[in-house]
Amino acid sequence: MRGRDVTLAAPLLAAEGLGKSFAGIVALENVSLRVDYGERVGLIGPNGAGKTTLFNCIHGMLVPDSGTVSLAGHDISKLPVHLRARRGIGRTFQRIELFPDSTVRDHLVIADRVRHGEKRFWLDVRRHGTPRPDEMQRSDEMLALFGLSELADEPIERLSLGQCRLVEVARALMTKPRLLLLDEPSSGLDRAEAAALASTLFDVQQRQGVAILLVEHDIELVARFTTRCYLLEAGRLLRAGPTAEVMASDEMRAAYLGSLPVPT
Amino acid sequence: MFANIGEDIVTAVLQGAPPGTVYALVALGFVLAYKTSGVFNLAFGAQAYASAVLYFKTHAEWGWPVLPSLAVSVFVLAPLVGFLLESLIFRHLRTAPPVSSLVVAIGLTIAIPSIVDLALDFQPRNGQIPLGIVPNGNSVYYPVFDLYSFSRDELMAMGVATAAMLALAAMFRFTMVGLKMRAVVESPRLTELNGLAADRISISAWMLSSLFAGLAGVLIAPRFPTLAPGRFFDIVVVAIAAAAVGALVSLPRAYIGGLALGVAIALFNTFIPRWANDHSWLRPMQNNITPALPFVVLFLVLVFMPGLRRARFAADPLAGVDPPPRSTVIPAPISASEIVRRTLGTTLLVVTLIVLFTRGDSAFLYLAGQGAALAVVYLSITIITGLAGHISLCQGSFAAVGAFTTYQLAARYDTSVLVGAVAGALVAAAVGALLSVPLIRLSGVWIAIATLAFAFFFDAVMVKFSWTGAPSGVATGDLVVPRPVIGPWDMASDKSFLAFLLAVLAIATVAVMLLSRSTTGRMLRATRGSEIAAQSIGISPTRARVLAFSLAAGLAGLGGALLVIQQESVNYDTNFAPFAALFWLVLVVTFGARAPEGAIAGAATFTLFDKVVLQGTFIGWLLRSPDRVPGLLPVSPKWRLVLFGLGTIQYASHPEGVLEMARARRNRRRAEDDDHDDDHVELALEASV
Repeated sequence: MRGRDVTLAAPLLAAEGLGKSFAGIVALENVSLRVDYGERVGLIGPNGAGKTTLFNCIHGMLVPDSGTVSLAGHDISKLPVHLRARRGIGRTFQRIELFPDSTVRDHLVIADRVRHGEKRFWLDVRRHGTPRPDEMQRSDEMLALFGLSELADEPIERLSLGQCRLVEVARALMTKPRLLLLDEPSSGLDRAEAAALASTLFDVQQRQGVAILLVEHDIELVARFTTRCYLLEAGRLLRAGPTAEVMASDEMRAAYLGSLPVPT
Repeated sequence: MFANIGEDIVTAVLQGAPPGTVYALVALGFVLAYKTSGVFNLAFGAQAYASAVLYFKTHAEWGWPVLPSLAVSVFVLAPLVGFLLESLIFRHLRTAPPVSSLVVAIGLTIAIPSIVDLALDFQPRNGQIPLGIVPNGNSVYYPVFDLYSFSRDELMAMGVATAAMLALAAMFRFTMVGLKMRAVVESPRLTELNGLAADRISISAWMLSSLFAGLAGVLIAPRFPTLAPGRFFDIVVVAIAAAAVGALVSLPRAYIGGLALGVAIALFNTFIPRWANDHSWLRPMQNNITPALPFVVLFLVLVFMPGLRRARFAADPLAGVDPPPRSTVIPAPISASEIVRRTLGTTLLVVTLIVLFTRGDSAFLYLAGQGAALAVVYLSITIITGLAGHISLCQGSFAAVGAFTTYQLAARYDTSVLVGAVAGALVAAAVGALLSVPLIRLSGVWIAIATLAFAFFFDAVMVKFSWTGAPSGVATGDLVVPRPVIGPWDMASDKSFLAFLLAVLAIATVAVMLLSRSTTGRMLRATRGSEIAAQSIGISPTRARVLAFSLAAGLAGLGGALLVIQQESVNYDTNFAPFAALFWLVLVVTFGARAPEGAIAGAATFTLFDKVVLQGTFIGWLLRSPDRVPGLLPVSPKWRLVLFGLGTIQYASHPEGVLEMARARRNRRRAEDDDHDDDHVELALEASV
C-alpha cells in the first residue's frame, strides 16, 4: 500500500539534475523539470538552448550523463525508447516521422495494437490481419476527434504538412499515453494552421486528460496553450513558473533579445 | 630463432605487398566513386571487368601492341562507361536514398559483365591467362634480399597504384576540380545555386572513378587464372574492407588499409601452418580463415567502429524541393474489374499447370520444380526486403544452411529429407537470428554490406568444413540428396515432386501474405518506414529486426533444402554462392519485393525465361511450328542477366516493383479519379528517370 501512496504523490514526470555534454560542449547542465498529471507545460528558449537535448533525454533517444528521469515515481532512466513509450510517454517529431506506404488508419491501428499487445497470432490468421470492430471503433473515434475521418483511407503521402502533424498526434494518443511530448508542432505551419492545430490540441487534451510537454519556438502558441513553462538558455534553467510570469520576466527578455543596457 | 622469425615477418610483408597494393588500388577507386558521387558503387568490379576483358581481347586475342590496347580499354572504354552510368542512371538518383542506388549498383554488377561478354563475344574459359601491361610480366622476377622475388607485373601494379593514390590525393586537396567534386557530393543543388554546373562536375568525377576501375581491372587481371566477373566482384568486397578502415572517405587510409590486408593475409599464411603443427585444432582454420580474413575484418569494422556506423550519408539540404514520394498504396480496385482479373489470372494459372503436367517434357518439369523451390527462397526476400526494408545479400548463405543441414542429416543419420528440410529451416532461422544481433545498430547500406561480408565469410569458411558442406576433396556437386517418400507416395519422379513443391509454395505464399497483413507485418512495415517513430509508439526495434532476419532466413533455408532435394544434389557454387545469389535480389526487386507475386515471377523467370523466351520455344509454339521461329532466336541466356540487371534501375522511383506498379496504375485509371495532381507528380517522377 505504501508503494502506491508514493506513486500517487509523485509527479507524473520528474527529471532531476539532468546533464549532458557532446564532445566537451555542455548541452544541459543540472536541469530539473516536473510535469503533473493532466498539466500543459511549455519548454522555451532560444536556438541552441538545449530544448531538444532535454526532450530527447526524457524520451530516451539520448542517455543523459547525469541525473534521473522518473515517470509516476518509477525511475525510467535506464529504459530504451520503446519501453518508455509503453509506460506512457508518447511523442511527435519536429521533422515529421510517419510510416510511408500506409494509410492514416494504418497508423492508428498499429499504435492501438502495440498498446493492446496481447498475443494475437491466431486472431490475425483468422481475420487475415484486418482490424477488429473494436479497433475500427477506437480509430474512428480518434479520427473524428482530429477531424480526419474523411482521410482515413488516404495514404499519408497525400496529406498536407498540417494534416501530417495531426496524424502524428493521433498516432501518439492511440497508445493512451499519460504524457505527450510535442516537439515544435507548429514548425512548417503558417499562423492560421498553427492556431488551428493549437485549438485541436487543446480540445483533445481537455477530453483525454493527457499531460503535455510542449517544446515550441512560437512564443504566442506557448503563451496561449500552457499554464506553466520552463525557460532554458545555454543548457541551464533560467526561470520556471506560471507561463505569464515567465513571459513577463527579465530573464525572458534577456534570453530572447540579449541584455540591453539599462537607460539611466 | 628470433632472427628466423624476423626474417619470416619481412618475407611475409614483401609477399603481402603485391596483393595488398592490388586491394589498395581497388579500394582507392571505390572510395573515389563513393567520395565523388555518394554512390556505394558495387558495380565497380563490373567496370573493372569490362576494361580487363577489352584489354585481353585486343591484346591477347587480336594481337594489338600493349599501348593501343591499354589506351582503348582504360582511357576510352572506362571513361565512356563512367559517362554512361552517370548521365543515364546515377544523375537521376542523386536525391534517392542510398539503398536505392545500392540496389541499382547491384543490378549493374549483374548486367555489365553480360553486356561486355555479348558485345565482345567473350566467354570466360579456363586456360586463357590474362596478360599484364609489361612484357613477360609474370616470368621475369626481381629478388629482394633473397627473401622474396617480385614479378614485373607486381612491381608495375605497385608503382601505378602508389602514383595514382598520390595524384588523387593531390587533386582533392589542391585543385579546384577536387573542391568542386566534394561540393557536388554534399549537395548538387546547392552547388548549382553557387553557379557551378553540378552535372558536368559529377560526370567528370564518374569518368575519373571509372578510369580507375579500368586501370585496376587491367592491372589486377594477371593475378587471376581466368577472367570471370565473380572474381572482380570478390575483389571489390575485399576493397570495401580495406576502404572501411578509412571510414570509406580517406584515400590514404584506404590505400594503407589495402596494403595492411595484403600483409596480414601473408602473415597468416606464414605462421598459422606452423602453429597448426603443434595445435591440431588450427588445421581446418588454416585453409579457411586466411581467405576469409578481409570479410571478417569488414564485418568487425562495421560492427565495432562507431564512427563508420554513424557516418551519415550525404543528405542534400535541398532534398525537400523534390515532390513528395508517390504513395505506393494501391488504390482500391473496382470490384467488377478485380473479379474479372482474378478469374482470368486463376484460369491462366490452372491452364498452365494442366499443360505443364500433361504435356510438359522432362526438361520443363525439372525447370518448373526448380522454379517452385527457388520461389520459396525468393519469398524470403519478400519478407526481409519487401516487408522489413533491409537489403540482405546473404540469403544464398541462409539457403545453403538449409541445404547442407538436409544433406548432413540424410547422409549421416539417414533422416528423411523432409525432416531434414524442416530442421534446415530451423537451423537457418537460428543463424539468421544470431547474425541480426551484431547488425542491430547498423542501418541501410551498412546492413547490405555486413550481410555481404557474412555471405563471403560463409563461402570461404563454413562451406569447407566436413560437418557443414563438403568433406575435403569432394566437390559440393557430389553431395547426393535423395527424394522423399511419404507413405505410399514416392516422389522420385520430377512430376510428383513438382506437385509437392507447388503445394509447399502455395502454403509458403499464403503464410507470407498473412504475415504481411498481420500485426507482426504491420510492425515490421512501421519500423521500415520510420524506426524512431515505431519506437515512439512502443515497438522494439531489436525484436523487429531479429524477427525479420530469422523469418527470412528460415524461409530461405526451407527453400534451399527443397532446391537440393529437387536437384538431388547440393550444387553450392551454382546455387548459393554470394555472387550467384545477387541475381536473386535483382529479380525479386525488379518484379516487386512487396508482394509474393514478385518472388514467384522472379523464380519463374530465373528458371524458365531462358528456355521459354530466349530459346524461342514460346514463339515457336505461338507460330505452331519450331521452323518458323525467326533466325534471331535462340539468343544467349546472358540477355536474362542484362534485362533484369538493368530492370533494377526503376527501383529508385518504384520500389514496389513492376508488377505492383502496373496494378496500381491500372486501378487508378479504372477508378477515373479526377485527382490530376497525383498524375502530375507521377509524370514528373517518370520524366526525371
